[in-house]
Amino acid sequence: MQNRPTIIAVGRTKFGEHYEEKPERLIEEAWLKASEAARIERKDLEACYLSDYFLPITNKLGLEEGFLSELTELHVPMEVSRSFSSALLNACNAIQAGRYNVVLVGGIEKMTDRWDKIRDDLMLLEDPWSYYAGCTPEANHELLLRAYIKRFGITGENLERLNIALAQVSVKNHLNAMKNEYAQFHRKITVEHVLNARKNARRPLGLYDFAPISDGATALILASEKVARKFTDKPVNILGSSSATDYLTFPARKRMTHFLATETAMRSALKMAGISLWDIQVVELYDQSTVMEMISLEDLGLCEPGRAWMSIYESCQDYKGYYEIDGRKLFVNMNGGLKADGNPLGATGGAQIFEVFKQLRGEAKERQVEIDREPKHGCVLELEGFGTKSYVYILGRE
Amino acid sequence: MSSEPIERRVSYLGDRLRGRRCQICGKEYFEIRDYCGNCGRKSFGKMVDIDLFYDKGKLEVCTFVSEPTNKFTKLGSYIYGIVSFHNGKIRVPGRLTDRIIKDNEEIDFSAFEGREVVPRFRRRYSVDRRDVIPTISLAFTLADEYYPHQEYTIIKPNKESDAPGIVGYGVYTSKFRIQERNIERSVPFIDEDAITAAVEAGKLAFIHSGVDSSLVGKIYVGSESNPYAVKPIASKVAQVLKLGEEDGDVQGVDAVDTEFACKAATSMFKDAAALVDYPKSNIQYAMVIGADNSQAAPRNCPGGELDLFVGYGGCAYIFGKHDVIAEIEGWYSCTSDTPDFWRRDGEPYPMHGGRFTGDPAYFKHVRKAAKKLMKRLNLQVKDINYFVSHQPNVQFPLKIAKELGFKEEHYLPSLQVAKFGNTYSGSSPVGLAAVLDIAKPDQRVLIVSYGSGAGSDAYSLITTGQILAKRKRQKLTVRYQAENPFLEYTDYAAYRRLKLGM
Repeated sequence: MQNRPTIIAVGRTKFGEHYEEKPERLIEEAWLKASEAARIERKDLEACYLSDYFLPITNKLGLEEGFLSELTELHVPMEVSRSFSSALLNACNAIQAGRYNVVLVGGIEKMTDRWDKIRDDLMLLEDPWSYYAGCTPEANHELLLRAYIKRFGITGENLERLNIALAQVSVKNHLNAMKNEYAQFHRKITVEHVLNARKNARRPLGLYDFAPISDGATALILASEKVARKFTDKPVNILGSSSATDYLTFPARKRMTHFLATETAMRSALKMAGISLWDIQVVELYDQSTVMEMISLEDLGLCEPGRAWMSIYESCQDYKGYYEIDGRKLFVNMNGGLKADGNPLGATGGAQIFEVFKQLRGEAKERQVEIDREPKHGCVLELEGFGTKSYVYILGRE
Repeated sequence: MSSEPIERRVSYLGDRLRGRRCQICGKEYFEIRDYCGNCGRKSFGKMVDIDLFYDKGKLEVCTFVSEPTNKFTKLGSYIYGIVSFHNGKIRVPGRLTDRIIKDNEEIDFSAFEGREVVPRFRRRYSVDRRDVIPTISLAFTLADEYYPHQEYTIIKPNKESDAPGIVGYGVYTSKFRIQERNIERSVPFIDEDAITAAVEAGKLAFIHSGVDSSLVGKIYVGSESNPYAVKPIASKVAQVLKLGEEDGDVQGVDAVDTEFACKAATSMFKDAAALVDYPKSNIQYAMVIGADNSQAAPRNCPGGELDLFVGYGGCAYIFGKHDVIAEIEGWYSCTSDTPDFWRRDGEPYPMHGGRFTGDPAYFKHVRKAAKKLMKRLNLQVKDINYFVSHQPNVQFPLKIAKELGFKEEHYLPSLQVAKFGNTYSGSSPVGLAAVLDIAKPDQRVLIVSYGSGAGSDAYSLITTGQILAKRKRQKLTVRYQAENPFLEYTDYAAYRRLKLGM
């Protein structure tokens, strides 16, 4: 496929709090890292696809493209969308259409500047009717969990195991982040930490079940497969790219336990990639909460509905670095996930792609996943809102 | 929210939980939709209005919100979940209201899930004092607790009377009380105010009367504690209760607020009655609501003596000439410029004339109105079965009843101040409702209101045979609300906080 979109380089900042940095400086840092890696110049870029979820609200930046133009002295077409995955999808489509050969995809978010109002902003944008009824960004996750428990009739010891499995998701992600120099948290936690936080909050999920708010930026350089050869010997191809959409109001959806958008996006991404589900060895999931990591495994088809918690629970009894699902190894959220790597909304998808890119190229250092050699296929799931939009990417090396 | 258009759109749908149903496939939407997503173009013109305001829902799943978003922080912590209606055809988000969660209370979600809930009209969240007050009915209470679910079944108007009168009524007080000395007073939950009480009372009046709300041609809301200095409560009531013929987002009803301290509502009884009796008015029913969440300065501050008696609640009456339960036999009103109680514009708390609120104010006007009406109708005490008067405290109504020659059996049934406190505009109307709850057909009721400032309205009412038939339709009687096992008692600090609102 001549115009197949191919990632030639990735870059990112550390996630966390960047009090002193202007948003443009963060994206500059991410871009510089990516461009140095691929030895690419600004003038090579034919277009830029950027993303931020709500910089106009958090940082009062309305026309983000203009800031970037001032910073880079570039006057090429630039478009802004809400998530990194959305920007990447637009970039992929443009490359496949033959419109451009080399483009920059960048994502940025600066959330901590507005820490005191951010939960209202998030909730209002994500699901306004629920916000008006008193919902919090955490409550929808907890309701999904309650619905899951009821639908699959999980009680007694099994319910205890499910709750521990979800705690283990967080423990595992914090453990993975210890090896990620860019991660927001470098701190081991225990199942007890997670369970105690829930108990203190008197809620189904607690502080350690949720991803933090973060600042950060990510960037990648996307080229058509043909042109990519000029810049790298180890291209990572985007074999499948897809998205799907569901109702904004979570309670109004057909099902309260799973995300239809993810199931739909995964089906078409797999079809486009022409690979089987079990060719995927590395997956970066959108674990805004521990329960999201669990249901995403089911939404993507990697686990049977109602059973992911069992696989997680079993795998984490003696965690070897992967989930064992039906005898197969699946490496999940090797960068620490949103939970520990951080979740600067507009940049998050870039960190997920970053991780899979590094893993497929065998450049993930301490985090490197080994099966026979480095993995061949990876998958990234990014969401916008609470399952309102799902983006699935399937990446592959040669 | 400082954006009025957004506020208007959210309230328009959320206050009454409006939706649409596709008549082809039956799919329901919580939203005004002109076509169905399943059926597409062929469903144009086939979407019918539904609203969930009088329905009951089921709490499907719930969780605990201990750290609300900024606008909800005044609610403290609460149970929040997903509520389904019509066997799961519609699901909406919602919080449980009327529930104070204690700091160490264990919360078992499965104890709430699966239970029936009733939508309640409440303030949505707190906003700046300059802003429009947001409201919503995505607040629910459990149907098996204080506030049961009741069907609103429209009854076709049947028997026409010669004289206009009351065709239905509803009393609303909250489930919270404060008990001090010998009296209990109703305390609003933090998301309640005079507007929400007016709507809830009106809702109960429709349930009781079976009147088709689209036949109501005028609504008067009397209050001295409207949270707005400028903006009527009546327009909100008209919109939420769907008064008059609905045309797009406009209700074909005349709506107005009245204010005259505690007689703002009773003053309008005669206007409502006259209006439905006037052939050219073309108005079949008129509604009068008295609702108050009156302010009182903290104890030991100027005006703080009011804090011992102030209650919370609303009372709604529907007047008409069909299926009347109590005909109006006559009335008399009087007024004088007596400054016994007042609140200057912009002041948070009213002031009180102390010793001058008795003889030269309350007693003078109530006595005069009662005597004049009795004389005009040629009535003796023996002709009257029940006597109702304004109840600012326990002593005043007792003293005037005795002075007029009434016995305990005449005045005790209406004496509600020791159970709810002074509900101001709703005070004598609640007393009347307590009487109508128990009166037999063909009994005479004398009600005399009093409003500081000052004046009284006296009415003589004669109950009809219809009173018994309609009584079965209302579970939330005055007695039910006074003696409910789910009443929750607060201490003084909690009462002040709840009263202040969000």
